[in-house]
This record gives sequence, C-alpha cells and structure tokens, in this order.
Amino acid sequence: MLEANLQQRINAQLLDKLQLAYICVDSSMTVVEVSDNLSSYGYNDIVIGANVEECVDFMFGFDAQTQLDLPMVQSPSGITISVSLLPSDRLLTVLISNASNQADQRQLLQQKANENELLVERQEKLLTQLEQASEQLESKNEQLEEASRLQTSFLSGVSHEFRTPLTSIIGYTNLVEQSLQCPTDKTGSDIQQKADHLRAVQRSSRHLLSLVENLLDHGKLDSDEIMLRPKTTNLVELFQDVELLLKPLSDAKHIELTINLDIDDSTIVVIDDSRLRQCLINLLGNAVKFTDHGSVSLTADLSGDFLSIKVADTGPGISDEDLQKIRLPFWQAADTGKAGTGLGLTITERIIELMGGELEVSSVLSEGTQVSFQIPAPMLMDQECAKVLNSKQSLADMTVLLAEDDHDIAALMVVMMAERGVHLTHVENGALALEAMQSTTFDFVLMDIHMPVMTGYETLAALQQANNSTPVVIMSASTVEAGRMKAESLGCYDYLIKPVDVDDVIEIMNHVALDKDADHTC
Amino acid sequence: MRKKKICMVGDFSVGKTSITQKFVNNVFSEKYLTTIGVKIDTATVGEDKLIVWDVAGRDSLSPINASYLVGASGVILVADGSRSSTVGGLLEIWQTVTNRIGSVPVVVALNKADLDGWQIDDHSRALLDQQGWDVFATSAKDGKNVEAVFKKLVEIMNCKES
Ligand SMILES: Nc1nc2c(ncn2[C@@H]2O[C@H](COP(=O)(O)OP(=O)(O)OP(=O)(O)O)[C@@H](O)[C@H]2O)c(=O)[nH]1
Ligand SMILES: [Mg+2]
Repeated sequence: MLEANLQQRINAQLLDKLQLAYICVDSSMTVVEVSDNLSSYGYNDIVIGANVEECVDFMFGFDAQTQLDLPMVQSPSGITISVSLLPSDRLLTVLISNASNQADQRQLLQQKANENELLVERQEKLLTQLEQASEQLESKNEQLEEASRLQTSFLSGVSHEFRTPLTSIIGYTNLVEQSLQCPTDKTGSDIQQKADHLRAVQRSSRHLLSLVENLLDHGKLDSDEIMLRPKTTNLVELFQDVELLLKPLSDAKHIELTINLDIDDSTIVVIDDSRLRQCLINLLGNAVKFTDHGSVSLTADLSGDFLSIKVADTGPGISDEDLQKIRLPFWQAADTGKAGTGLGLTITERIIELMGGELEVSSVLSEGTQVSFQIPAPMLMDQECAKVLNSKQSLADMTVLLAEDDHDIAALMVVMMAERGVHLTHVENGALALEAMQSTTFDFVLMDIHMPVMTGYETLAALQQANNSTPVVIMSASTVEAGRMKAESLGCYDYLIKPVDVDDVIEIMNHVALDKDADHTC
Repeated sequence: MRKKKICMVGDFSVGKTSITQKFVNNVFSEKYLTTIGVKIDTATVGEDKLIVWDVAGRDSLSPINASYLVGASGVILVADGSRSSTVGGLLEIWQTVTNRIGSVPVVVALNKADLDGWQIDDHSRALLDQQGWDVFATSAKDGKNVEAVFKKLVEIMNCKES
C-alpha cells in the first residue's frame, strides 16, 4: 500500500520534472484517468467520466483510434504545448508536453523569415512598378516630342493659312482705295473691276472666318463642348452656298468643281446647317487644296430621312500608312508641300459623329480620294415645307430695335438690313434699349452682350423680371457654350455668333413672324 | 449545440489570425505576429459552435502541417488580394487539405480588400472560377464580409450533413 503510494509520488514528480501531463480516455472518449498537473496548462475542469471532446477543445473531432502528433498548440494557459495521441488496445492516451522553448525559438526564426520574404516581395513589386512607370514615361516622352513637332508644324501652317487671305485682303483693299483717290474714269469696266476686287476681299474674309472657326472648335473637341443646333434648312440652298464659296478656289487652280444633287429644290430638312456647312467646306476645301489636276465633285442624295454625301477628288491620294494618321489633329502629310492647320478633318469627323454619322475615307495613290458619310436629316412634311417657304413675307412692317455699342457694326447692320427692307432703331446699350422698349413696342430686338452701362445679360434679366416677352436675339463674339446657355436661361429667343450673317437674322425674323401668326390663329 | 471544427489555411501573413480575431473578439491589429503551430478559438454561429483552428501559414520554412486538419468539417482558404502569389498558392494548399481529409466544405476569403493594391488579375480569377469555390472579398481591418465567410461555410457544412 505504502509502496504504491510512493510509486505514485515518484511518478508525479517525474512528470512534473519532464513537464509532461496526460489524459487517458476509453473507446467512447470518456476520461478515465488524468495527471494532476493538467491545470498548469490551463485545463482545469477535466474530470473522470467527462467526454474529452466537450472539455478539451483540441480533442474535438478525433476518435479513440487516432494516432497523431500535434506540435505547438497554444494551450489555454498561454504556454505552447505539444500533443501526442497514442492509441492502445482499449485506451487512448493524450500526452501533453511543454513546447514553449521550442515555440519561442521558432517564433524568432519564422517571424524574421516571413518579414524578410514580405520585404523581398514588396521590393520585386516596386521594381516592376518602377519599370512600368519608366516605360510609360518613355512612351509619354515620345508622344510629347511628336506633339511638339506637330504643334510647330501646326503653327507654321496656321500662320501661312492666315497670311494668304490677309495678303489678298490688304492688296485688294489697297487697290480699291487707290482707285477711289484718283477717280479718273468711271467707266463700267472700272466699276466691274472694283466689284471683282471687293468679291476677292469677301472670299478671303470668309475663308479666314472658317479658319478661325476650326481653330476654336478644336479647343472644344476634348471638352465635348460642340453642340448641335438643328433647324429647318433648305438643303439645295445650303449646297449652292457652299459651291459659291469654293468655286473661286477651284477656278483659281483650274480644276473642275461639280455638285451633283439628287434633292428636290423645295426639300426642307431639320439639321444643324452651319455645322454641315462647316463640314462640307472643310472636306471640299481639303479636296481642292490637294488636287492639282482634274476635278473635285460632291454628290448628295436624300432618302428615307438620311442624307448621304460623297466628296471625291482626283488628287494624289493617300497611302495606307497615312490613312491611319489623317484623323489625328495637326497631322499633315510630310511631302505635299501644302500648308494648313491639319485640323479640318479631325473637327469634321467629330461633328459628323455628333450628327449620328461616320466619316469614311478611301483612297488610291495617284488616283484620288473619296470621303463619304451618311447622317440623319428628317424631312418636313409637304405642308410644313410650304409654311416655311411662304413665310418669306415682307418684314417691312416689323419694328426692330438694335442694341450695339460698336458703331461700325451697328452702321453695317443698319445698312444691310435696310437693303432687305427692314428698318432698325439703334441704341448704344442695354439701359437705352429698355428705355426705348418702354415708349415703343418692338416686334424684335437684336442685342450685343458686351455693352457699357448695361450688358446684354443684365438687359435680358430686366426684361424677364418685367415679364416683357419681346423676342430678343443675342449677337455675341464669344463661342463659349456657357454664354449661350446663360442667355438661354435668361429667355433669349436665339443666339448668333459674330460676325452675324444678316440672312440668319432675316430667317429668325421670319420665324418670329410665323410664331406671331400662329399665336393669332389659335 | 452542434460542434464543428474548422481550419483557417493559407500562405503566411495573408490575415488568417486577423480574420479569426476580428470574428471571435472583434479586434484588429496592424502589427504582424506570425502564428506558431496553431491557436484554437471558439465562436458561435446560429445553432452551431465553431472550434476554429488558426493554423500557421505556409512559408519558406515549412509547409502546412496537415495533422492539424484531422477532424475538421470545413476549411476557410485565405489569400491576400494584394499579393497575387498567395491566390495562386491556394491550389497547392487545397491539395494538401484534400489529401489529408478529403474534399470538405470550403469558402475562400480574398483578404485585405481595404488596400489600394488589392486586385484580382484575370489569371487568378480564372483559377478561382474553375474551382467553383465561394469567394468573398474580406477585410479584417474594416470587418467587410468577415461574418459572411463564416456563415457561408456553416451553411455549406450543414447542407452537406442533412
Ligand atoms: N489592411 C489590412 N491589413 C490586414 C488585413 N488582415 C490582416 N492584415 C495585416 O496583415 C498582417 C498579417 O496578418 P495575420 O493575421 O497575422 O496573417 P496570418 O495569415 O495569420 O499570418 P501567419 O500567421 O504568419 O500565417 C498583419 O500586419 C495584419 O495587420 C486586412 O484585412 N487589411
Ligand atoms: Mg496567424
């Protein structure tokens, strides 16, 4: 008895010394024996008869036959232990030993190794990022160099393009001025000559204007500022207009310019006429510029509310390689010797896209180039057409007020409107316009934006406040879309960009008259 | 209450400990302290008591010790979405799992979703899709999807049982 007791004490001391603890379970995982020192590892409530899976977390999921080593398990006491499951005939012994020394060493080693590896990974990642960045930088650099080269050639192109019409304007106005100073003969041929000179001046001015428009539009390409303003348009008149504008250019180069229309004279469609005109001028202008022999032709037809246009020339053609590039802004073929801004096509393509079409270019070297596109152009019904056409009634009895501080422009407006039978009352600022509108009822007001004393915007606001609904058409030198939006929010009837085409004013007046008629009839 | 043993497995430093601690104790630490061996925690999901084995990650010194997996009824494969190699590593780790305990229910946590560099490239995505695993973008830092991962695994395990 005493011996057995002694044996037990020796065993217990030995276990403590070796920091060993154990649990014995039977085949149903019921605890049958435990060492006294289990609590030193934080296992306090393991009692004989309990299910080991319930009271020892790491034992869950095992059965009595499991033979397994579980190195370095964190025990509830915080001490890391190693566990061995040793099955025998009827019992499973769970041997628990202290592994904290081993764990501490391992911790130091593993922590360092893992942190090192993370560092290496991060370095590798940074390196690839660096390589990518440097590649990007290189290609950006190349792009910049290309851009700067294009800009330089663009600038020289622009200055050349401006110089040509300006030289002609200065030259011809000089001639006219000289002939006015020494009025020797007033024969018909002299007058005819002056008229020719003036026409040349006009042509060059219009050419300058379209150049400026292209330049301004280019600035808007990226900012999506180009907006379409469709209105009722007589297509045949539009094409005739374009032909008149370009004929002098083609005549000067002795090439044939033909416009083939399969469109009825009276066809009215809804389209942004000024944008379409700009595109046609750009395309035909390009064709004429690059064609030295032969002809340039425009073919247009309208079917099913779609307008198809093809511009063909017998110019030098474009190589396949260059075809890829022609749409880039500022790009110009290197060896043509033709100066230009290289913007026309970029802008045209964008506008046609906005209109719902797609510009297609095909070309055969030394045979010529064909450019075509198709855009929606909804046709008006017959009676609607008749209404638009008939509205060109006499405007003589309309009372029109012009508010404009620039005397030259005002004087020009008065003369040109008078030629079309319209009488203008002219005032020099918004305040005077309001005053005039108090004493007289006007049918129509033409107004500048930038005026002293009271601007166009302020005047519009005052009119809106006073519930005065007289139609006001703004004439602005600014092509920025925000200006138009501001004026529209203040209730302006329409918004024209300077230099204002008198025919546009007349057309708007026709609309005003129509609206008025409509008001009266209903 | 039904008890289930599950294991968190994956490469080192992917966030196995962080996800477990976020789920069990709702804490998170920026400091990296690598797990040695295994740490066992418990948590409750609905009717089920989970015994979560947070196993030391696979690293250059050692593979995953498959002994820890014995008796598990499901695993959460964890990878770090800002280290694509750890996503690729899941295949090998899954192999270790199936070799030892068969094709148990599994969900995938692509952890550290709060980081800027977190990104799953096409290759990794194809790999995950191919396995047909349930994948969650988790963050132990802000808690995103942490609960969802555990709930999903419990759902799959219960589904398999019944
Ligand atoms: N930003 C961010 N950091 C995390 C996230 N999860 C973990 N970390 C960090 O990542 C590092 C590693 O996290 P642990 O949870 O220790 O990773 P582990 O998978 O347990 O690593 P081992 O135990 O070594 O296998 C630590 O510095 C954590 O703070 C997370 O979701 N977002
Ligand atoms: Mg860990």
